[in-house]
Amino acid sequence: MKREENALWSIFGYLLSGLLFWGGVGWGLDSWLGTSYLLLLGLLVGMGASLYLVWLRFGRE
Amino acid sequence: MRSLVRLSAEGEGFVPPSSNDFNLPPIFGENAYTTKPIFMVFFSVILISVFFIAASRKAAIVPSKLQFAGESIYAFVRNDLARDVIGHEFMRFVPYLFTLFTFILTNNIFGIVPLLQFPAMSRVSFPYVLAVFTFVIFHYVGIRKQGLGKYLKEIMFMPGVPKPVYILLTPIELATFFLVRPLTLSLRLFANMFAGHLLLLVFIMGGDHLLKGVIGLKLVSPFAFAFGIGLTFFEFMVQCLQAYIFTLLTALYIAGALADEH
Amino acid sequence: MTGTLNLVGYGLSAIGPAIATGMIFAAYISGVARQPEARSVLQPIAFLGFALAEALALFGLVLAFVL
Repeated sequence: MKREENALWSIFGYLLSGLLFWGGVGWGLDSWLGTSYLLLLGLLVGMGASLYLVWLRFGRE
Repeated sequence: MRSLVRLSAEGEGFVPPSSNDFNLPPIFGENAYTTKPIFMVFFSVILISVFFIAASRKAAIVPSKLQFAGESIYAFVRNDLARDVIGHEFMRFVPYLFTLFTFILTNNIFGIVPLLQFPAMSRVSFPYVLAVFTFVIFHYVGIRKQGLGKYLKEIMFMPGVPKPVYILLTPIELATFFLVRPLTLSLRLFANMFAGHLLLLVFIMGGDHLLKGVIGLKLVSPFAFAFGIGLTFFEFMVQCLQAYIFTLLTALYIAGALADEH
Repeated sequence: MTGTLNLVGYGLSAIGPAIATGMIFAAYISGVARQPEARSVLQPIAFLGFALAEALALFGLVLAFVL
């Protein structure tokens, strides 16, 4: 029960920090280069990477 | 919604509770350090100390009611939180976890105690400070146990991944451990207390305002008060749960820092 | 009363992941209750499903602030 609680909050933390970090990188590149699509790209990359991380940590046997 | 209420009720318009209701004026003087939450925090510390000193002073084999209450809380934190989660080294962390649990619990329950009725944890600085304590402790414990290099390496590099993928994953791991964990720990407690207090304010102040309205609205206002009282009991549950979750996550973070393998 | 419609949209978009999370754990709990030894098989699946549903909720949260 407590381990599961831990796992659920760490999943939440991973997803949030993936979105925040790579979304932040995309946002910074956007305002540096003057483009507008890199934010969305960064968010998608961040979400993909954090889902991969969640799979690595909790999804395999 | 506001205009609708203003049309139907007499007197001045209803001011919905907002985050301004959490900025309490100082009790005396012009500085920002003598507000109600500060005094409540000091009061809670005195209350906890007096309660546990009284509960443990005349310790007997056949416990009195007071001693039984104090020992139940202590046993809950020591056995269910510290021992089950941290493992064989748990006794070192019981003082911190116990202080954390009783402090947060008392300050949360002040939110529904008549006359006090303000949860100090709905001012965001208090959860921030508690999260900083937890943050420093679990990193310090991990570094002392495994050494700085090994501890960082274990956080940063997930085993079983091709090397280029680390560019993607390592920043996420670092952000999780050093930013998101303390932030979510404090914001979870803050947001629950803030939203709960706001909810009670809406129902009690709304019921009060309806009571001043025309006769039809007077008949509705008991329902608002009844809802407010029901939500007070719901709030009590949330307050206990949030104190438990904060302490449990602190214990889990310490356990994760102590563990050799992930 | 002032505010932004983004937050209303976020509230609506959080309904889907909320229902999904509820269904995932309902299925996980009833599976473990029927067959407790299947827990180690079901747990990673439940966590991955939770992660996918939660990712959508967080995506909505971030987009509500950046758009």
